[in-house]
Amino acid sequence: MQKIPLMLAKAGMKLSRDVFRGNSPIGIPICGKGTELTDALIARLENMDIHTIHVEGHPVWVDGERSFDDYLSELDGRFSKTLHEPLNVMLYDIYKAHLIKSMGGGSDLQAE
Amino acid sequence: MTYKRSDLKKIIMDTKTLPTLPVVINKLNSLSDDEKSSVQEMSRIVSSDQVLSARILRLANSPSYGFHRVSTISNAMILLGVNVVKSLALSSSIFAIMEKESVGLWEHSLGVGVAANLIARKLGLPECEEIATAGLLHDIGKIIISLKCSEAEKDIFELVRERHIYALEAEKEIIDTDHTEVGGWLSKSWFLPDKLSEPIAFHHDVAKSHNHRIKTAVVHVADVLIKASGFGNSGDSFVPPIQKIAWDTLKLNEQLLVELVDEIEDKLVEVKNFSLEMMSD
Repeated sequence: MQKIPLMLAKAGMKLSRDVFRGNSPIGIPICGKGTELTDALIARLENMDIHTIHVEGHPVWVDGERSFDDYLSELDGRFSKTLHEPLNVMLYDIYKAHLIKSMGGGSDLQAE
Repeated sequence: MTYKRSDLKKIIMDTKTLPTLPVVINKLNSLSDDEKSSVQEMSRIVSSDQVLSARILRLANSPSYGFHRVSTISNAMILLGVNVVKSLALSSSIFAIMEKESVGLWEHSLGVGVAANLIARKLGLPECEEIATAGLLHDIGKIIISLKCSEAEKDIFELVRERHIYALEAEKEIIDTDHTEVGGWLSKSWFLPDKLSEPIAFHHDVAKSHNHRIKTAVVHVADVLIKASGFGNSGDSFVPPIQKIAWDTLKLNEQLLVELVDEIEDKLVEVKNFSLEMMSD
């Protein structure tokens, strides 16, 4: 999941969180999670003054942002003391899988 | 430079210099122990603290509770329950101390509170709110070390960096005690109930918790998960091992852990936003 400014939203992206009017969870829900964005929908969200949305995967890369490899090497570093413990190995694998999924899962990231 | 454990204990237990809990919490505690006291009496006490009142109303009106337009403290107390209100009072006052001290540790504690809550709900445990509060407070000893011996804290950080060891080990070397023991002393001097003080004192050694082992185990696992996630900054760069006894006590398995990591990571996005919002206030 990635939080992006609406300006960078493109048709075809999928919402990973509900969108509420006024960007507040007590506002009226406008659009449910799982909805695929279209140009018309993006224009409507713009009219409703929505500034940011959460989308599935990690479709937008901004300059200076840490890459998948950066995140992975940080994860490796955090677990470097406990990878002989079976429970921690399990946890490491779960977090690694989660990282792959949240960074856009599947496509070019896993290709290597 | 080393510090004597007994000196430190004296400094910490010296209630005159210790950050004290607001009067409101002590009054609430004594009232809620007394069966004869009424919600009206308690809400009068809460109402005298405007910040706390605002937080309680905000919580009662939040979508996670689903009540609508709760406008009086006594209604909010009836709807939320006295224990939730007490947890809220306790955590918001400790935040007031923590917030200014260290953003990283504050975020770590917030993360552990959220994770502990999610674990407790997932496992269908009673007293989820209390477990969340215990998670929130589990590193209170670190705050006290930082407040009372800021010199020692610097030495601890340096040692952690130099030798790549856990903060707990560095604390033992420099101050001859650690944040769990200090947290335990503090909980005693604040008269916190066992269900909070045991997770604070034993979240790195679950086996020592006798009366509230389940709660302690939840906080231990939550702490490990948040460290694994890299959320906030606890002062530790390494994930500690998940203790077998905690794993067994909670009857966890791989499938549960996968679901929990998913739920926690999802929630942490909100926590981060909340934290940024608080910092900009």
